[in-house]
Amino acid sequence: MSNRAQSKSDVLQGTLDLMVLQTLNTLGPLHGYAIAARLEQVSSGAVRLNMGTLYPCLMRLEQRGLVRGQWDVTENNRKARFYTITAVGRRQLGKEKDEWDRMVSIIHAVLREQS
Amino acid sequence: MATLREWMHRLWGTIRPNRREGEMEEELRSHLELLADEMQQRGSKEDALRVARLQVGGVAQAMEAMRDQRGLRWLEDLTRDLRHALRSLRHAPALTSTVVITLALGIGANAAIFSVVRSVLLRPLVNRDADRLIYIRQTAQGIRTENLTFSVPEINDLKSRVTTIAAFGDFSTVDFTLIGFGKEPRLVKAGVVGGSFFEVMGLRPVLGRLLNAADDGPAAASVAVLTHDFWTTMLNSDPSVIGTTIRLGPRTATVVGVLEPSVPYPEETQIIANVVTSPHHLGATMVTDRMHRMTELFGRLAPGATLETAREELNSAHASIMREHPDAYSARAHVQLQVKTLRDQLASPARTILLVLLATTAVVFVIACSNVANLILGRSVRREAELALRAALGASQGALRRTLLAESLLLCAAGAMLGLMLARPLVTVAARYAARFSVRALEATMDASVLWLGAGLAVAAAVLLAYIPRLPSYLRSAGLGLAVGSVRVTPGTNRRLRIFATTQIACSFVLLAGAGMLVATLTALQTANTGYDMRHVLAIDVPPSATGVGSAATLNFFQEATRRVGELPGVLGVAAGMIVPWRDPSTGLKLQFAFDGYQPADGEENPTCRLRPVSPQFFAVLGVPILAGRDFTEEDRNGTELVAIVSQSVAGRLFPNGDAVNRHLWFSNTGKPQPRRIVGVVADVDDENVVQEPAPTVYLPLRQLGLPSRLFVRAAGDPYALVPSVTRTIREISIDQAIERPTTLEDVRAEVLTPERLNAFVFSAFGGIALLIAVVGVAGVLAFSVSTRTREFGVRLAMGSTPSQLLTGVLKEGAVIVTAGITAGVLSGYVLVRVAATYLGTARVPGLLPAVGAAAVLTGAAVIASLIPAARASRIDVLQALRSE
Repeated sequence: MSNRAQSKSDVLQGTLDLMVLQTLNTLGPLHGYAIAARLEQVSSGAVRLNMGTLYPCLMRLEQRGLVRGQWDVTENNRKARFYTITAVGRRQLGKEKDEWDRMVSIIHAVLREQS
Repeated sequence: MATLREWMHRLWGTIRPNRREGEMEEELRSHLELLADEMQQRGSKEDALRVARLQVGGVAQAMEAMRDQRGLRWLEDLTRDLRHALRSLRHAPALTSTVVITLALGIGANAAIFSVVRSVLLRPLVNRDADRLIYIRQTAQGIRTENLTFSVPEINDLKSRVTTIAAFGDFSTVDFTLIGFGKEPRLVKAGVVGGSFFEVMGLRPVLGRLLNAADDGPAAASVAVLTHDFWTTMLNSDPSVIGTTIRLGPRTATVVGVLEPSVPYPEETQIIANVVTSPHHLGATMVTDRMHRMTELFGRLAPGATLETAREELNSAHASIMREHPDAYSARAHVQLQVKTLRDQLASPARTILLVLLATTAVVFVIACSNVANLILGRSVRREAELALRAALGASQGALRRTLLAESLLLCAAGAMLGLMLARPLVTVAARYAARFSVRALEATMDASVLWLGAGLAVAAAVLLAYIPRLPSYLRSAGLGLAVGSVRVTPGTNRRLRIFATTQIACSFVLLAGAGMLVATLTALQTANTGYDMRHVLAIDVPPSATGVGSAATLNFFQEATRRVGELPGVLGVAAGMIVPWRDPSTGLKLQFAFDGYQPADGEENPTCRLRPVSPQFFAVLGVPILAGRDFTEEDRNGTELVAIVSQSVAGRLFPNGDAVNRHLWFSNTGKPQPRRIVGVVADVDDENVVQEPAPTVYLPLRQLGLPSRLFVRAAGDPYALVPSVTRTIREISIDQAIERPTTLEDVRAEVLTPERLNAFVFSAFGGIALLIAVVGVAGVLAFSVSTRTREFGVRLAMGSTPSQLLTGVLKEGAVIVTAGITAGVLSGYVLVRVAATYLGTARVPGLLPAVGAAAVLTGAAVIASLIPAARASRIDVLQALRSE
């Protein structure tokens, strides 16, 4: 049921996980909104995350033990859930980054060949 | 690893979904507010929130997406459906319990019968290579003897002529009075076997050793093996019994081993001993008389031989033996050889009854299912509004079906569980019942296969139940109209309800008619006049092997016992004999007699009569009237004139003029005829068959021929009250005397009729269950029909119908169902009997009385069942009925 709806976003899923983990790794604990804002900012507005995409992703990462969520207060005194990357998450990030680099270089090579 | 962890989390999230619901929402709200805070710097707060929402999507959608991630959606759906089903079933306790109990009865009965069938027909024997173990039997259909058994010369002949049988094992039984193990003297049945028996049977000892070739023959030492049952129940599995010496009648024997648990066949015995323990087995009669048949024969197929080749060879050998000894095989007896595997032999008498029983339980299951289907169908019609509403709100057909499936799964699972709980005691009952037909039934136990059967039946029922109701569809415009709360029954549903009710009636009719037939048979047997005084006569086994001395001493012992027991208060008379009617095997006591003054017609043989040695007073004690002449007296003894008494059928047939008394008779097959004068004629009594037949009998005085072993005591009051004083009196004469089975003739007959009674009882029980379920079914259908037609009845009443017209209308509806059901039952029953006849060889069609009786019972019960809904229809209040929609 739910799997059917997700099949399309499955391609994105891996990269989204990667982007979120990377953001948390460089910037430290962040709440969901800050993560979305940061991703939007670094991608110059190309990545605009819907809540329905972002929060299930965070939940999945938390279920896998890659991030840990905790309620805290923002500088504007609003309650928000802050996510921190875990040791497992950092290891996973490293692995996935390598994998990504490899993929990109392969695709690069293939594309250059074709042109 | 990470994925496994995610799944654990999701599983947990499924089990405890509420935990994070609030937190999830709060997080999303905080996201919106953070976004709005930022937007606010550029405009108003409300605008900002609206824009924010547009920008990042709604909370509800995000919540839904998060919920998907939180748990396992399908599991969540299933648990929700189950929980929903549980809740809605809790609101219908009457329906739920009816359905569960009905299913439990159906599944429990099937599981129990299946266990027994499995153990009798399917499970392998413990015997090594049981497929090569065969059982050989001599039958004599001409004189209606199923098992003639073999004599030692016959066995020797077969042994020397046959090569397809690697080894033969012989087995015969004798009764011994066993003294030993520090217990009271008791009568035991002992198997007497040759040295090859256990090797042929392929059995092992659990303790000590079994008998082998070294124990065979007259020169060996007396040794005995205990059967497992005797060792465990009587001797508490005491391992120290090995090596002890016991007295078996006149001889002693050493216990050398305990046999493993195995099927006791052809007879259950307490011990199995070698031939030297039995003086009789060493005697000349046993060894040389071809007609002295008392031995059962087993064989193990030689390597390369098959059952067919062995059967062929045995039959041709048997045929030539019969040709060589024409005197030992009368043409009339039609002696034949029967060769089967032991396994088939054990299963065959039970096969028919078990298959019939299995079919019966299957029918009960069909009835149960169709009744449950009816209840569910009725319920789903009432729920149509709810289902239509859910369909309108976007529930898919699959989702609706799942709701129904969850409900029926719950019901069936509960039914199966209760059914399997019921099955445990039922297995014991059914096993004891089936043990009458095959000893293997006693091995029946509940096991995993039965659980699978129960689960299978439950799932079958559940799927059936979930797919019976029709779902509301979007395409049907009626959909939303139903949601208002009215109940409208489609003709299709109504037809289905009726078909199920009719099925139940038809099945119940078949079962009831069958049960009626068995009850009629039993009643006829029980009420038959046997010619004996059944109530006041106590029959006691006083086996003479106890004293282990010759006939003169036994006769004196019995005379003394008769005299002293006769002096006891409450005793009206005492007599001795050799056979307790129906209980003791008496097929061997049949001889041909010649009579002076009677010449057999050409080609006719001399009449065969039963031979019954009895003491004086025997007829008076058992209540058999003397029609002419006199009774035996103490003066009819060795040395005085040889006398006899004949039964009426002998006298009437041979001497139609009534002049039987004072004629002479003699055994026609012995060399030198010894004429015996007929001194009296008594009424015919059949002491062999429960279904009475003419019983030509010749009675001789015990003091002239025979050896007494049974005592008959006629009591003034309760015969069983005499047992202690009789026992004491006999033990005073001989302390080692075994005294067994004191029973009134009435109870002897009841005991013999047990299989018939059990048959009648079991099938009546099934019939009763079926009747009950069917009646509930009919009542349910009518009640449902009435409740859905409230408005119609209101209109009718308003138009001038009288309540009694409505009442008869509903009753008529019930009558139509019952009539259709009985008609279907008669037809299908007839077909069933025909089919059964082709598979089982014989099948009886119930007589008119049981069939009519079953129909009457069903009709009566159904009419009573329809009265309740009919009365409700006639009591409908017009105004309320019209407003009810």
